[in-house]
Amino acid sequence: MRPFKYSRAEDVHSAIQKVAANPNAKFLAGGTNILDLMKEDVERPDELIDVTRLDLAGVKMSSIGVSKKSIAIGGLGKNSDTANHPLIRQNFPLLSQAILSGASAQIRNMATNGGNLNQRTRCSYFYDVSMPCNKREPGSGCSALEGINRMHAVFGWSKDCVAVHPSDMCVALVALDATVRVQGIEGKERSIPIIDYHRLPDNMPQIDNNLKQGELITAIDIPENNFAGNSYYLKIRDRASYAFALVSVAAGLEINGDSIQQARIAMGGVAHKPWRAAEAEKFLVGKTPTQENYKAAAEVEMRNADPLEHNKFKIELGKRAIVRALQLAISNNMS
Amino acid sequence: MREKHKIIGSPVSRIEGHLKVTGKAAYAAEFSFPHLMYGFPVQSTITAGEIKSIDVIAAERSPGVLKIITHHNALKLMPRPPVTHANRMTRSNPVLQNTRIHCFGQYIGLVVAETYEQARFAARLVKVSYKTERPKIDFDENLKDAYKPEILNAGHPTDTSWGDLESGLKQSAEILSETYNTPIEQHNPMEPHATIAFFEGERLTVYESTQILGTTKEAIANTFNIPKENIQVLAPFIGGGFGSKLQPREHLMLTVMAAKMLNRPVKTAITRQMMQTNVGLRQHNRQKVRIGTEKDGKLLALSHEIVTHTSVDEEFIEQSGAISRMMYEVPNSLVTHRVFTTNIQVPRWTRAPGETPGSFALESAMDEMAHRLKIDPIEFRTKNEPSVNPENKKPWASRSVIECMRMGAEKFGWNMRNSEPMSTRNGRWLVGYGMASASRGAPCREASARVKITNSNKNIRARIELAATDIGTGSYTIIAQVAAERLGLPVEKIKVIIGDSDLPPTPGSGGSWGAGTYTNAVDAVCEKAKNELLGKSKIKFVNEPGITELMKAAALNEYQTEGSVKPSEESEKYSHFSFGAHFAEVWVDESLGIVKIPRFTSAIAAGTILNEKTARSQIISGVVWGIGQALTEESVLDKRYGNYVTRTFADYHVPVNLDIGNIEVYFLHEEDKTINRLGVKGVGELGITSVAATIANAIFNATGKRIRDLPITPDKLLL
Repeated sequence: MRPFKYSRAEDVHSAIQKVAANPNAKFLAGGTNILDLMKEDVERPDELIDVTRLDLAGVKMSSIGVSKKSIAIGGLGKNSDTANHPLIRQNFPLLSQAILSGASAQIRNMATNGGNLNQRTRCSYFYDVSMPCNKREPGSGCSALEGINRMHAVFGWSKDCVAVHPSDMCVALVALDATVRVQGIEGKERSIPIIDYHRLPDNMPQIDNNLKQGELITAIDIPENNFAGNSYYLKIRDRASYAFALVSVAAGLEINGDSIQQARIAMGGVAHKPWRAAEAEKFLVGKTPTQENYKAAAEVEMRNADPLEHNKFKIELGKRAIVRALQLAISNNMS
Repeated sequence: MREKHKIIGSPVSRIEGHLKVTGKAAYAAEFSFPHLMYGFPVQSTITAGEIKSIDVIAAERSPGVLKIITHHNALKLMPRPPVTHANRMTRSNPVLQNTRIHCFGQYIGLVVAETYEQARFAARLVKVSYKTERPKIDFDENLKDAYKPEILNAGHPTDTSWGDLESGLKQSAEILSETYNTPIEQHNPMEPHATIAFFEGERLTVYESTQILGTTKEAIANTFNIPKENIQVLAPFIGGGFGSKLQPREHLMLTVMAAKMLNRPVKTAITRQMMQTNVGLRQHNRQKVRIGTEKDGKLLALSHEIVTHTSVDEEFIEQSGAISRMMYEVPNSLVTHRVFTTNIQVPRWTRAPGETPGSFALESAMDEMAHRLKIDPIEFRTKNEPSVNPENKKPWASRSVIECMRMGAEKFGWNMRNSEPMSTRNGRWLVGYGMASASRGAPCREASARVKITNSNKNIRARIELAATDIGTGSYTIIAQVAAERLGLPVEKIKVIIGDSDLPPTPGSGGSWGAGTYTNAVDAVCEKAKNELLGKSKIKFVNEPGITELMKAAALNEYQTEGSVKPSEESEKYSHFSFGAHFAEVWVDESLGIVKIPRFTSAIAAGTILNEKTARSQIISGVVWGIGQALTEESVLDKRYGNYVTRTFADYHVPVNLDIGNIEVYFLHEEDKTINRLGVKGVGELGITSVAATIANAIFNATGKRIRDLPITPDKLLL
């Protein structure tokens, strides 16, 4: 590990000041990703500002406008605390499921909500400094494009990067239409819809998201919805736990009588960002919740997929995962 | 008739167990010495070529750095003689002697610093320029260069044949011809390799995580031209080896070199990533199996033809076809091995080398044939049971594979199986049953031991000393049990001292010979002590006396003796193998391809079971790795660069707890009167053998889909 300066932030303002002032400084929260990356020499910050003591860990209910409520989860709340919080379990079981299907219990106990959003891809070429990677070293080339790309993207990739975002939590947050609250240098807060938070690689894969240097995630706001009872997070992976998704699907359905009022479908393991299956959602609105309609919706979504040499299976697996997640969302059958 | 054992066989808990769970058991990297320095290897970032230059200026200026050793300033070591079966573990292993790169991650230097972090950081500052060659990595691209090697691992012959395979196939009513692929796998013991080395004058002390003390000592002696007598190798505790710690590795030689050059103690602990690149692997085996039978299932022909890879640096070939030479009676047989060289690191013994990949091909093919013949897989195997070892015509010392299949079938509930694939469901899960029979050679080797008996205020205690290792298998405990049994003392009165090369020599732990070899030496030396004491005693005993009576009769407060034992000439006349049968129930998600294994049953016949608890743990751990082999484990290389994309446990998937269901192990009562004094056959490798085939067979029964390329990941089961 390269030598670096470490200090513990006493308040949000000074933490932001310090990171904003040094382009090579980073926030340190749970450390479950940044420390690994520093040991691998992938991340090379010369200064870490420890924000773990800041008071940004709570889960709070608040109102948006007149009648609508939302729940805010703190940027520094631990993943495990968030997943197990009664307000989350009751209102957003989809989020609980997604968080608990990620990493391991030990990692979830350390990892924070903000850190989960900012974790970097697990592409093995990104992690190995002996190989070219545009995300790590812009301009060096993408090794995965014509390399081993079984785990890589089928949507939204570019010639410069085919990596996927590794988070499960973020896939649920996308289905839940969450917004990310960040605080910047002037003390101003801004909100970024989660779907716009992460980026597609285009020709700048080194930039994962739209957070600016020095901006700190203070909270994630999740609006109330009507599909808590009809939601499911399905994750398919190579072993039963502690593995990244081959494909995952966060699904939620709002049913009125016999018809689907609203559908929410997001996918993980398929793109550089959590992938909102907007076409499938659109297809399902007004339809009856049947297997045939789920299949048709999955077809509509996956026809735009563009696989690489080793991940063609993600097309068929993705379709089946969408169908299964929608079925389980309705039956609420914990398999 | 052997007397009935009281202590041998009983499930005594590990005598060193509480040291381990309280963190007091010190492993190689956990010792400390004044002025200890830390080594961190510099690795090649290319896979084939030459080092053009190494720039160490920045690294040398880095804080805490004491020395950077490269081929420029390395000690001149003894040249490496050509590898033979006999010298593979002990020949000189001269590191940093030239600029040639033959595989990715090869050590090309060692940074020595005051702290581990300083050494690791400085290693990154070493700048190397290379002349790069295109590496030979891809299996299919290099297949054309396959040649016939002279000999395989452990002296197994390259090719064998009897009868006439082709005419056997021609006569057959049913013929099967399929190809099976088992991928590269890594050992990944819990404890990564580590070394501490220091000189005191001419004398060298080495703490090393090694399976064999004696060969480690010899390899150091041969590399550095030091008399063996001046070297002591210590390994009191070892956190698993699985074959990766049989041969002294290059980090050890780097550390000894640094200790010699700086005349201070040096510690080198390698990283998990280096465990993928520098300590050996199980190679990819491509195996073609052909089976021909009569209508009733009698085998007429069996061939097992293997192509695999070795390193440009050293030839090592596991005996993957060996199991097809001894498992079934067949009049026409052909087993061959071919190999080509690559810039992948040299393969190494990996838990049940040969049998683990070989049994996947053979036992899958047997299941495929049973299905075609519409014969129950157990009946099919039973029908082709050989009365003697078909390979060498030696009689079996003991072979209880049919009994294992029967016992396992009964315990598992095999009669509930529907032989028609896709015929059993539980909701969206397709349920399948599968089985396979297992075997593994049961070698026993020469070893020695010392016993020291003390009588202090009528408190008789015994101390057993031998240069054995406990690689997590339970050596400490079984040695204590055998000594207690023989001496007539409780286990608590036995002190076991192992893990020190200065003690009476043994061949260490590997190849499933450890348990039988150690305990027979201990058994022999205890008996020797008793006989010697009896000779000194003037009393005539009516019943066989214990050590307490003998010490009293001899009026001694202290007595010690040393002895050794080797396999008898009689034992050479027989074939010695452990046998077993595995049964699995699998559930396969019909649309998502996810596999669950809710239960697994193993019936095992391995002669005398020394400790039911530790033996059971051995089998369970073998089954767990077998499940990994079947479903999750694969090292993947990028053929352009020659390095791994599976460098960590996030990418190289060993099974996690949630992947493992209920594993039941049953030991058959079996007496082997010729293998050794105690009738011990060993269980270290039998547990993994044929597990992958068992699971693949069960998956076929569940889904009708036959997967011949491991691992069976969900994408391969999208039906």
